[in-house]
Amino acid sequence: MRSLLAALSLLISGAALAQDATPQPPLPSPAASEPREAVEPSATTPQERPPPRANAPSVPEASPSIDERLTADEHRVEALEEQNTETKNDLSALKKLRISGYIQARYQYQEPLDEITGAGGFSRFTIRRSRLKATYTTDLAQAMIQIDASPTGVALRDAEATLFIPGTKQQLSLTVGQMKWPFGYEGPQSSSDREFPERTRVTRNLLPSERDRGAKVNGRYKFLRLAVGMFDGAGIDSGTTQDNDKEKDLIGHVGFDLKWIAGGVSGWYGHALGKLPTDTFRRAYDRSRVGVDLQTYFDLLPVGGTSLKGEFLAGRTYGAANNATHLDVPAHGWYLLLVQNIGLNDAVGFRYDSFDPHNGQPDDGTLELPGADNTVDTVGFVVQHHFGENLKMTASYELPITHVIAQAQDPHDNLFTLQMQARF
Amino acid sequence: MKKTLLGSLVAFGLTVLPLTAQAGTVTVKGSDTMVILAQRWAEAFMKKNPATKLQVTGGGSGTGLAALQNGTTDIAMSSREMKEAEEEKLRQRYNTPPTSVSVAKDGVTFYVNESNPVQALTLEQLKDIYLGDTTSWKAVGGPDAPIVLYSRENSSGTYAFVKEKVLDGDDYASNAQTLPGTAAVANAVAKEKNGIGYGGAAYAKGIKELKVKKDNDAFAPTAENVKSGKYPLSRDLFFYLRNKPSGETKAFIDFALSPEGQAIVSQVGYFPVK
Repeated sequence: MRSLLAALSLLISGAALAQDATPQPPLPSPAASEPREAVEPSATTPQERPPPRANAPSVPEASPSIDERLTADEHRVEALEEQNTETKNDLSALKKLRISGYIQARYQYQEPLDEITGAGGFSRFTIRRSRLKATYTTDLAQAMIQIDASPTGVALRDAEATLFIPGTKQQLSLTVGQMKWPFGYEGPQSSSDREFPERTRVTRNLLPSERDRGAKVNGRYKFLRLAVGMFDGAGIDSGTTQDNDKEKDLIGHVGFDLKWIAGGVSGWYGHALGKLPTDTFRRAYDRSRVGVDLQTYFDLLPVGGTSLKGEFLAGRTYGAANNATHLDVPAHGWYLLLVQNIGLNDAVGFRYDSFDPHNGQPDDGTLELPGADNTVDTVGFVVQHHFGENLKMTASYELPITHVIAQAQDPHDNLFTLQMQARF
Repeated sequence: MKKTLLGSLVAFGLTVLPLTAQAGTVTVKGSDTMVILAQRWAEAFMKKNPATKLQVTGGGSGTGLAALQNGTTDIAMSSREMKEAEEEKLRQRYNTPPTSVSVAKDGVTFYVNESNPVQALTLEQLKDIYLGDTTSWKAVGGPDAPIVLYSRENSSGTYAFVKEKVLDGDDYASNAQTLPGTAAVANAVAKEKNGIGYGGAAYAKGIKELKVKKDNDAFAPTAENVKSGKYPLSRDLFFYLRNKPSGETKAFIDFALSPEGQAIVSQVGYFPVK
């Protein structure tokens, strides 16, 4: 550092010498024997200048010594360090704030119109998700808000206030607000991380909108994971901004994470108010779920990592509108997802999922149309390419297979999706 | 069920799935504490394997781990364990559990100026100093002078280690001056007679290392105390990878863990794991 300062000092003195060559305003001519300091003009107290001594020794005019220059430069550096410290103090608060988000823009093509129903078939561009998320984290608390802006409007997705329980090193926390249900794997997983553009049919039906208003405790201990909370239960797509009943749903997930294998079991117990045709008045019906999830990660092939994920969900009473379109109806489904990375930027995946909208109800069909509650299995293929760290392109092709009987036919509803996701 | 668009899907796959050619350069990025060590390893390794190029850069543990997630480094050096969120991001992105290799041990050392008469402090005293509760050396047996705090930037693994182990997760005092690199901290303490800073043991030359008191004994960050765990601020230094090492990367890690590589650890001033 000192050698650097010395070099800097020499440069500065060189510059000073160069400046000496330029014409200067006339100054009082000092006596040849007078020290330089004595001739510096003083605007304030020129009369205080000491008179030249008659017998003053003759001293050649000299620049400040190396030590003086170093000292001056060190003071300059210290001043800069001080300014830097102040700036860093100001910035330290901003470092706790993280702004992130992502945009999923798509082109989708579905098979041409069905000859029988006239439904389905499109070729369109959409903005599926356009998220903006702000998170402010301190040692004791976290505030998070996430909005989704789309052509249909701006909607609040998450608004969480979290307390990290003191003394637990953020291993135990309490969150109140609007947040994802702690249930299963695919439901809470970020849409920006998923390989396929959309969640499976069973998750979309049993966990519509994936989130709700409530309070949740989140805890970790070594490889164990626990998340359990009390929620309104109807979900944010229920069409109301306030809970319309006094019933609360208890939802939780107990899991483990051993790095190469992770998983857990989930449970949900609550009620939904509703009235079936056989009811005179509204009554509380069970709204329950159970789930099992497992994710495994291997290094099988030299080209990249392989993961195999699966989940089974079953529940009663579901549907987006009031989460009770299918009041008191039992349903179940499952999926298997296999993903193979190829190098650092590419991946291919295969997914098979099955959803039975009404357990125990046999498949049916009329006028060559399958019944609305027939089981649907979906075969999906996906390829992904990462253009750097911020941009991901996904192409998927999904082939839903609706169970049919007799003369009913599987609808033409194969879907191709090309999605560009940019995140920051 | 129709398969009319499968062709276009395959075509897309062929277009965007160029198999990435593995370059003959192994990049190592991350912990500033480990840069000097990794550079020595790299020099020695490249002498033996001239066909392999190793690029070693610092930036802090967090920077290295972020680079690992972004695919811009082969090995991330980290002086702290990977956080759960970082690990989860890696798994989501690469479908493989990350691999960690402990390549050396270090004792995080607190430095004071050579002229400072204080020889040892307890963890509690260090905590009070760095939280800003103790502001004068007089309170801990030193001169009646204000304590000048030096710290690392928050991307540093050492910063996170001290925050967790010494400050119990609390925030550093706001007047702590953050400096880019342990060498800068040591240099600042050498110049400031009332200063205190911290960093890896390898950078402690020319300034006084504080002992840390535990159970009425004071322990210096020596090899014996760090390896035995008596020194309360010992830690592992890690290499993190996206998956299991192979090829040139594996050869380099094997070298780092070999007797020759571990001898370099001692030469640099850290402590071998084997």
